[in-house]
Amino acid sequence: MEIAYFLGCIMNNRYPGIEKATRKLFEALDIELKDMEGASCCPAPGVFGSFDEETWATIAARNLTLAEDMGADIMTECNGCFGSLFECNHMLQEDEAKKEKINANLAEIGREYKGTINVKHFAQILRDDVGFEKLASLIEKPLDLNVAVHYGCHFLKPTKTIGIEDNAENPSILDDLVEITGAKSVDYKDKMMCCGAGGGLRSRDLDVTTSFTKEKLDHMTAAGVDAIVNVCPFCHLQFDQGQIEVNERYGTDFAIPVFHLAQLYGLAMGLSAEELTFDAQRIDATPAIKKALGE
Amino acid sequence: MIIRGVFSMSIINRLKTLFKGENEEEDINTDVSNTSDDVEVTSVEDVNEDVISGAEAAAPEEAAAPEEEVVEETVEEVVEEPKDDEKDSTLKKDIEVIEEEIAEKVHEVEEKVHETVEAIKEDVKEKVEEKSNKDTKGDNMTLLTDKELLNDSNRDPDFTAEFIDAGIETVKHCFQCGTCSGSCPSGRRTPYKVRQIVRKCLLGLKEEVIADEALWMCTTCYTCQERCLRSVKIVEIIKKARNIAAHAGYMAKPHKMTGVFVMNTGHGVPINDATKELRKAIGLSEIPPTTHAFPEALEEVQKICKLTGFDELIGYDEATGGLKE
Repeated sequence: MEIAYFLGCIMNNRYPGIEKATRKLFEALDIELKDMEGASCCPAPGVFGSFDEETWATIAARNLTLAEDMGADIMTECNGCFGSLFECNHMLQEDEAKKEKINANLAEIGREYKGTINVKHFAQILRDDVGFEKLASLIEKPLDLNVAVHYGCHFLKPTKTIGIEDNAENPSILDDLVEITGAKSVDYKDKMMCCGAGGGLRSRDLDVTTSFTKEKLDHMTAAGVDAIVNVCPFCHLQFDQGQIEVNERYGTDFAIPVFHLAQLYGLAMGLSAEELTFDAQRIDATPAIKKALGE
Repeated sequence: MIIRGVFSMSIINRLKTLFKGENEEEDINTDVSNTSDDVEVTSVEDVNEDVISGAEAAAPEEAAAPEEEVVEETVEEVVEEPKDDEKDSTLKKDIEVIEEEIAEKVHEVEEKVHETVEAIKEDVKEKVEEKSNKDTKGDNMTLLTDKELLNDSNRDPDFTAEFIDAGIETVKHCFQCGTCSGSCPSGRRTPYKVRQIVRKCLLGLKEEVIADEALWMCTTCYTCQERCLRSVKIVEIIKKARNIAAHAGYMAKPHKMTGVFVMNTGHGVPINDATKELRKAIGLSEIPPTTHAFPEALEEVQKICKLTGFDELIGYDEATGGLKE
């Protein structure tokens, strides 16, 4: 099995430990991750999608053509990238007029969108293409960790077009994937709420964004978790960097380490904290890692 | 008729004061402030009526009428007093003097009354304006208020058509139940009212929608759209409204800067030296295999941005690689 691996921006340019863990995991699963050479920003739905649909769709479609040329489905482990690429792919497959318009733009750079590939989310591939059993066989050290799973928004929603089998109000896909590692997914109030970073809000109004994040951190703390697990580097950044911003604004002392699901698997597969670049994150993950590994 | 009541009472009081020789300034001030209080508790409709009544009362003829009566009564009182002690001739003179004084006082009172009425009118006008401002900001189910009815001249049908043309016909299906606003995590902490925006988009209230900063408080979390009983594509509506706002010049600088980063590097969040070191240290390529590593790929992205006019839209300055302005 071959997959066109879409990197995006925040993972590869800020949290490369997520990329490292993913490459290791897929190596172990015997699935080839092929680089999409020359891929760009997805582009960010909050800014490009909110400013000019045509520009957003043309840049997204250009990324899609890279995978079409490779003849492989795209995998992304960022909800924002998934939202942009899936939505654009779906829109151009459904709307012939828009497809024509976007292809007229792409022709100027010698490209053509055909609509021949699918866009898949990392977690979706792990559950639906790999399967729980195979994943369980990779776990070297079952993790002793209580985690707050954060789904993020552009993963299961909008359910009418995305079509990942689950219930967007009360889903289980990520909880199931977390629990294969031995960690326990702890329920908490307003679990499905947004982290506050999306839609261009983080760059425009950090006060409002941190107010979202604080509400989530309050509920996670009340549930007594050791770590936050997410499947989106932008949510990841919002809980890591954003936790510092919350503490600065509210005089709080939140210190919940943040794990991307790929990092959680990396840890369970025996990768070190350094390889997973936990040492470069703003919130110290050492206590959670020690607990998880029983050290 | 609150104003009129307070008004005539104040005239009588002031006339009494005049004859007692007390300072009337204070009384006038008190009366005006009392009147304002009375106005404040009345509804806009009542106030409007009252303003008119107040204006009528301000007309000199009408205002003067009740005063004369009062003055005559007072004169009788004044006249009665000396009757017992003085002779008729003296009385006549005194009466003449008193009548002159009264005429003067009446003139003074008329002036004061006029001033007071003007002050009250100003005050009422302010209150009415204040009240109408509050109504505009209020969250009204139908966007209709007592004093402001929307008609076709308030609407821009082309604005509504933009949503329909973009394939968001579901904007017409909204029956304003408010499930969206009730589900909205942003609405709990910002002035963002998603139900109201959907309504305004359908009504074609273009400026109200695109000039409102709250439009940018949506994180596009889709909770509203997921729960919508009428399957309205709410997030699509918000994004379309933002597109129209952006093209009308409503763009935040940080948003433009994200566009600048993509035009310069192909990434909204470009790599930095610290991450290059990190990547190298864990055995990844120092530069990711993206537009960062392929200049010809970056050129394609830049060409797209020029083709669609995105560079112009955000005010990209090719010479400096930053924003114009």
